[in-house]
Amino acid sequence: MLQTLQDKFYQNFIKDDHWKYIADGLKVTLQVTFFAVIIGIVLGFLVAIIRSTYDKTGKLKILNVICKVYLTVIRGTPVVVQLLIIYFGIFASVDISKVLVAIMAFGLNSGAYVAEIFRSGIMSIDNGQFEAGRSLGFNYVQTMIHIIMPQAFKNVLPALGNEFIVLLKETSVSGYIALQDLTKGGDIIRSRTYDAMFPLVAVALVYLVMVMIFTKLVNILERRLRNSDH
Amino acid sequence: MTINGDILIKVEDLHKVYHNKLHALDGVSEEILKGEVVVIVGPSGSGKSTFLRSLNLLEVPTSGHVYFEGVDITSKETNIDHHRQKMGMVFQHFNLFPHKTILENITLAPIKLLKKSRAEAESRAMELLKLVGLEAKANSYPSQLSGGQKQRIAIIRSLAMDPDVMLFDEPTSALDPEMVGEVLELMKRLADDGMTMVVVTHEMGFAKEVATRVIFMDEGKIKEQGAPAEFFDHPKDPRLKEFLSKIL
Repeated sequence: MLQTLQDKFYQNFIKDDHWKYIADGLKVTLQVTFFAVIIGIVLGFLVAIIRSTYDKTGKLKILNVICKVYLTVIRGTPVVVQLLIIYFGIFASVDISKVLVAIMAFGLNSGAYVAEIFRSGIMSIDNGQFEAGRSLGFNYVQTMIHIIMPQAFKNVLPALGNEFIVLLKETSVSGYIALQDLTKGGDIIRSRTYDAMFPLVAVALVYLVMVMIFTKLVNILERRLRNSDH
Repeated sequence: MTINGDILIKVEDLHKVYHNKLHALDGVSEEILKGEVVVIVGPSGSGKSTFLRSLNLLEVPTSGHVYFEGVDITSKETNIDHHRQKMGMVFQHFNLFPHKTILENITLAPIKLLKKSRAEAESRAMELLKLVGLEAKANSYPSQLSGGQKQRIAIIRSLAMDPDVMLFDEPTSALDPEMVGEVLELMKRLADDGMTMVVVTHEMGFAKEVATRVIFMDEGKIKEQGAPAEFFDHPKDPRLKEFLSKIL
């Protein structure tokens, strides 16, 4: 029994440097997630600002419509389909790195969810805070930066952390454009050794550990931000 | 306290109509002189808060003009943010910034807007905190303060900008009864120091004692006004008589 386990471990991970599929895949997954998160935050932040500025002041009407279309399309279609359209459709005739396409697709997708998270955070701040800022002489942008945003960010941090955990796991569909991410790496081992359990459970464990580490980090940040009020 | 006759705020034919056709302000014209303490009273829905909030354009009037220190602040060309620095405002619900300490609450605007150095802004803030006896709370957060303390901080946060007028929108309405006194006492001290004040309140004792002029609003109009003695002892308008008979 122990012997067969050892054999299987050797077959799946040690032989022919199979572990490298996992390691290299992990590198790709982290790369895609990291840059997609950055795009998601920047994009989501901008969209949220435009949407809540429109909600509060009625300005930026056209930009608001564009943002609404973006949100509806992205949130109304599966991320895999978006990924496929971007790779096989939009960049069909362009020689472009798959990693780059994945970063774009997941960043674009995440931006829509982050935007709504940020927006709900901004709208959750009592209007009195806004009025207090304006009455002191701060303009709209200054009030947002010094008074509304810091509070909104603190309120949405758990939801934001959750969104990034979802994003990390969603990148596992990158295999659809033949990008060798963590999941694909495990799957390649399976196709070579004809053993499904070992490589795929290993992949699952790697995701799990990453998610747990990330959750811990968010909790620490949350606690540090919270010691100010309530 | 001296009222030297200079007009600080002038309001011309102010109208405010909400989307639901509610006429919150129905042609209000008024002048606030330097050094005056004007108390506005009236039933709820009379437009008194809308009027007060129109003075610094937190409420944008549908038509009419507001002049502050001779400048038409309702004009599109006017930079309202600049003029608001000179108009302090105190709210019913304090609206302190919960993510900042008391000291930061007070120094934020002077540092960012008046470009004061941190040291300068903080020493002024500590002066003001001493004035209200809350210097020990400088590094506390608003959630650690009582309602009365919060409102006193809100008042000195406005004072830190050295305003020319202070607007009070029902400053004691959200307070527990035992905390009303400390806030009114601070407001009275401000009035004694010659601060121009416009106060919407239900505290008739404050109006009688501190106001230089009392205004009665109803249905979006100013129905009657006068010195407190005349106003409370010999009201003429039937609605004011009814109003006073209910609350006194």
